Amino acid sequence: MKTIDIFGYAFSAIKLRKLRAALTTLGVIIGIAAIVALLSITQGLQATLTGQLNQGLSANTLIVTPGTGGALAGASSGGGGGGFGGGGSGGAALGGGTSSNSGFNLYVNYTSEIDALSPDITSSLAIISRTGYIQTGTLNRTVTIYGVDFNQYSQLYGTTFLAASGTIPTSPAETSAVVGTRVNQPGQNGTIFFGAGDSINIIWANATVLPPVNETYTSNVAGVLGKIGGFGIGGPSDTGVYIPIDKAESFFGTNQADMILVQLKSSDNATVSTVSKLITDHFSNQVSVISATAVLSLLTSIFSILQLFLGGIAAISLLVAGIGIMNIMIVSLIERTREIGILKALGMKSRTVLTIFLGESVIIGLIGAVVGIVLGWILANITARVLGSGFFGGGGGFTITPLLTPEVFVGALAFGIGVSVIFALYPAWRASKLKPVEALRYE
Amino acid sequence: MSKTTSVVEAINVTKTYMLGKIPVEALRGVNLKVETGDFVSILGPSGSGKSTMLNLIGALDKPTSGTLLIDGVDIGKLNDNQLADIRLKIGFVFQFFNLIPRLTAHDNVELAMSIANVGKAEKKKRALDLLETVGLKDRVNHKPAELSGGQQQRVAIARALANNPKFLLLDEPTGNVDSKTASEVLSLIKKLNTEKNVSIIMVTHDQNLAREARRTVEMFDGQITSDMVNNQ
Repeated sequence: MKTIDIFGYAFSAIKLRKLRAALTTLGVIIGIAAIVALLSITQGLQATLTGQLNQGLSANTLIVTPGTGGALAGASSGGGGGGFGGGGSGGAALGGGTSSNSGFNLYVNYTSEIDALSPDITSSLAIISRTGYIQTGTLNRTVTIYGVDFNQYSQLYGTTFLAASGTIPTSPAETSAVVGTRVNQPGQNGTIFFGAGDSINIIWANATVLPPVNETYTSNVAGVLGKIGGFGIGGPSDTGVYIPIDKAESFFGTNQADMILVQLKSSDNATVSTVSKLITDHFSNQVSVISATAVLSLLTSIFSILQLFLGGIAAISLLVAGIGIMNIMIVSLIERTREIGILKALGMKSRTVLTIFLGESVIIGLIGAVVGIVLGWILANITARVLGSGFFGGGGGFTITPLLTPEVFVGALAFGIGVSVIFALYPAWRASKLKPVEALRYE
Repeated sequence: MSKTTSVVEAINVTKTYMLGKIPVEALRGVNLKVETGDFVSILGPSGSGKSTMLNLIGALDKPTSGTLLIDGVDIGKLNDNQLADIRLKIGFVFQFFNLIPRLTAHDNVELAMSIANVGKAEKKKRALDLLETVGLKDRVNHKPAELSGGQQQRVAIARALANNPKFLLLDEPTGNVDSKTASEVLSLIKKLNTEKNVSIIMVTHDQNLAREARRTVEMFDGQITSDMVNNQ
């Protein structure tokens, strides 16, 4: 029997029991939709995070922080504040960890030691950061204050440490400052509290003396950065206030760096890992060195586990659908025993009977998978919109674009059809094995 | 078709069923020869073995011993696939019509040809021709439920003829239709035999119907008890 005739016949059998076929297909639809929705959201999220990390973290930059462990955890929860944390939570992350470690301190002038470690190092840059406030007119806003060398910093982050208005001074005055776009325009809604050329008060609650005192100085805003978004691990952030490193040392009364950024001549894995090891060895394992490569690979492995986990849960629903298919096909086979007897009496071969039943499951699986993929995609987009509209308090600046990769598409299609066919194997086999004489006698 | 050869030849055929643990001898050494163009009825009460005979001649089952040749092929030596191929040469007409309910008259006839891998255009044309032959030209797109018993039986005959079978095998062809329809169906069968030279084997328990055939084979208790030519 020709394939087209087999499918035509299988389809006529499905059409006869529309509701039953629709409900059976619904099982597949739900399973596939769940898989597609979960995977495309996770992959979209991964792509978004990876993209933002790539922006905030140059591949040829290492971040050296004092202490072992904990650095990455800090990095991913705070850093720039553009992401889940939203507005004010920034600073604590990479900066905060300094005092917690076994007496080891990373000093600002260690940059020269690091520079001398390897010819692969272009330069290194110390950052001192504290959570503080800025105040001007009615605006009183929590920010992260970073002390950096403006020239080196803009060299490291040429695409993000860029003034959208004003300039980043090459030889800054002591009171110069550069601010992120969410500092002077917290709502990102056009309400601008101050601009380049204005004066703001920079305040730091100094708790190193008792009782704590608020240290304040008036700063001139030289430039406002463009919108960066994302996670600025070490890199510029929308909620950051940048002051010259010398000023930071005197203002915060310390010469301990919270992190040292190390720029490499190359971003290849060998260089990254060699230099990382050189630095940790140099500081007797008292520092953590993180690289974009390491963060990204960690992120990738987290997401693979997440995808496996979520995909697995969704796959269970598809398995349930498969059992539904098997159940319905066994019922159908019993109902159609006589029909199978007729077909065989007319000269149909057993394997053709098998193919007809499998054909029915292929049709169900195909329709279920296609509808499921479309539905899952719609679901993913709706979910992404809900999440993107500030569900996490992110207040914009963070959008997930669901990603339906060809792998997921083809995989979902194959999985939907595959499950249908596998669960139809037994009923189809039983149908094909019916003896014509007995099948014809069946009432 | 004018050459006289056997479409069916049974030599000492036996068939034993297991009914639970008890063997039942349904056929006990049957010898029968049906030539091309013949019209034979197999007559017998229930339990005589005629249904078993029907199943064997229809290649739905294989004999326990003996030789059964259908179109010269010993079906006892065939596997399931080969048996299925033999069935393509047999035009089976069932007592209960056994049409596929969801298919139209036309599609039921086409289905038989689909199974035999006939091309699309030919299937369509031939199905229409056959339905015209059995007098159902105006019922082509009706489903079995929309047809009377006699009409359904004629669709079944058209379907049986679809693949140019070596012979028509009819099981109580008038068993489920009224007497008027029965005589119509019978005259159609006779017409096919005389005008189109279609060989016919008809299994029935109805003596009057059996006498309408050119030759009647009577069975009793798994054996052939008489084999005679009817006076027409």
